[in-house]
Amino acid sequence: MPTIAKRPGELLWFALLGAGMIAGAAAVVTVLIKGHGEVYNLTREIPWGILIATYVFFVVSSTGLCLVSSLGDVWGFEKFTVIGRRGHLVAILTLLTGFGTIAMELNHPLRLALYAIISPNFQSPIWWMGTLYGFYMCCLIVEFTSLMRGWTRTAFISGLAGFFAAITAHSNLGAVFGLLEARHFWYGSFLPIYFIVSALASGAALTALIVYFNHKARHIDLSPQYKEFMYTMGKLQALFLGILLFFVIWKLIPGLYGQPPEKYEATMALLTGPLAFNFWFFEMALGILIPLAIVANRRTRTVFGVMLASLLSTIGIFFMRYDLVIAGQMVPMREAEGSPSLLSYVPSVAEIAIVVGALATCLFLYTMAEKFFDLEGGHRH
Amino acid sequence: MKNKRFAIVLDTRRCIDCKACTVACKAENSVPLGRDNYRNWVTEEPLRGSYPNLGQNFAPGQCMQCANTPCNRVCPTRATGVNPDGIVFVEVKKCIGCKYCMTACPYNARYYNEETEAVDKCTFCSHRVYQGQIPACVETCPTKVRVFGDLNDPGSEVSRLLAKYPTRVMKPEMGTKPYLFYII
Ligand code: SF4
Ligand code: SF4
Repeated sequence: MPTIAKRPGELLWFALLGAGMIAGAAAVVTVLIKGHGEVYNLTREIPWGILIATYVFFVVSSTGLCLVSSLGDVWGFEKFTVIGRRGHLVAILTLLTGFGTIAMELNHPLRLALYAIISPNFQSPIWWMGTLYGFYMCCLIVEFTSLMRGWTRTAFISGLAGFFAAITAHSNLGAVFGLLEARHFWYGSFLPIYFIVSALASGAALTALIVYFNHKARHIDLSPQYKEFMYTMGKLQALFLGILLFFVIWKLIPGLYGQPPEKYEATMALLTGPLAFNFWFFEMALGILIPLAIVANRRTRTVFGVMLASLLSTIGIFFMRYDLVIAGQMVPMREAEGSPSLLSYVPSVAEIAIVVGALATCLFLYTMAEKFFDLEGGHRH
Repeated sequence: MKNKRFAIVLDTRRCIDCKACTVACKAENSVPLGRDNYRNWVTEEPLRGSYPNLGQNFAPGQCMQCANTPCNRVCPTRATGVNPDGIVFVEVKKCIGCKYCMTACPYNARYYNEETEAVDKCTFCSHRVYQGQIPACVETCPTKVRVFGDLNDPGSEVSRLLAKYPTRVMKPEMGTKPYLFYII
């Protein structure tokens, strides 16, 4: 049995996670007692809030981690085998956290399991979302087990299946938004593609964070192999962030050009409206530009630099999800005299507590997993 | 009901914004109290003209019972369905509360009913209609803005109104093919 919490730093870490999880659990209990309507700040006009955004954030993370970590075991890039076990494990944990978060947003998660099977609607992207992520989850579990046991052949096959499942499931998640004709800001084939690109940026960032903090927590220096890995992640991140920036710009232009109704208002909500601070500060500066500047420059692309860039872009990507989900619903569907031109939504304390709880739970599960599994061994040296 | 296609034709020029329809609907369908809870509404359109020659139009609305239903398409569990007569309904026990249909509806016709724990919306009072009555909002309207009937019957009042007057639908560009017609 591994021992837990000996170092003061570790105690503090568990105390923090514990506090986060308690806050989340308290909010969950309140919701179960009082009902969604009382506790969440969602409205008829904005029915999807920060929990949907958080769900998206976690599954983006999972997809990204899966895609990046399969570079080693599936696609044969030797350098990436060091992250194989950890990457897939965290992909499983982030996916589970995502499921947990969306379960808190659905009013009847249990009904979903029943009626998705006995009364499925194959036209519904949410039906596909459940099915594809379910399949993806199975692939991840098989692949992680195979990596742990050293079954290279099964690892390869399940890894390959998982890679395609990740892409299919995740682009379909983009389609959950992209197939809503009524929501001009989301509608179109852009989101399914954009979701994949942002998953790559997310995955590269998280992989680097895992490697860095895992060594930091154990007070061990990075071996040359891991250092090399961090530099590679830095370069990859520069590439992914560059592509992401390109996508963000091309997301904005059609929203401005010719002022298309509703799409324009939502785009302006991001650029100059209520979401402008989120957009410019979190999404653009923290999420893309500063990290890109750090990893694109050879002098700042150090181990610490790559970690910092990853941390910033992860925070930025969270806001990217939030802004996307909210901006798409801000334009009222029905105009009337005296009604606001843009609707507003501010997450309630309980909603925020659930987000904090989800994050803490995910980190807690990961910390425990590090103690119980040998995530280091098994890769080809 | 087979071989029927229910619709409402509205003469908005007669609407006096009394909101009797909204009240009648709430009572008829046990719609819970609360800002977000309503099946039908009356939109106040912008003021026209300048003082003292002012005018204003009011447009009552509710679920448009679309022929091309985005709400029905997206529902993962088929909780939302469409009857052969065109009435769009929600089956309470199948609704998982994902609210996907709410984001899909271009008319904001749906809300989450905390009492039934399912998404709720106008059903043209199908429980009344299937017993030969007319919807509560239609029955209660003091100025007879609303006319309800079967478009497959050429002799029905809705068919005659549509033949006689030019009409429009809300957001035709959405391609939802609504069955609420507004006399121009
Ligand atoms: S108005 Fe909205 S809820 Fe009613 S049928 Fe059309 S899309 Fe569905
Ligand atoms: S909220 Fe209910 S009716 Fe609407 S899409 Fe989800 S399951 Fe279907």
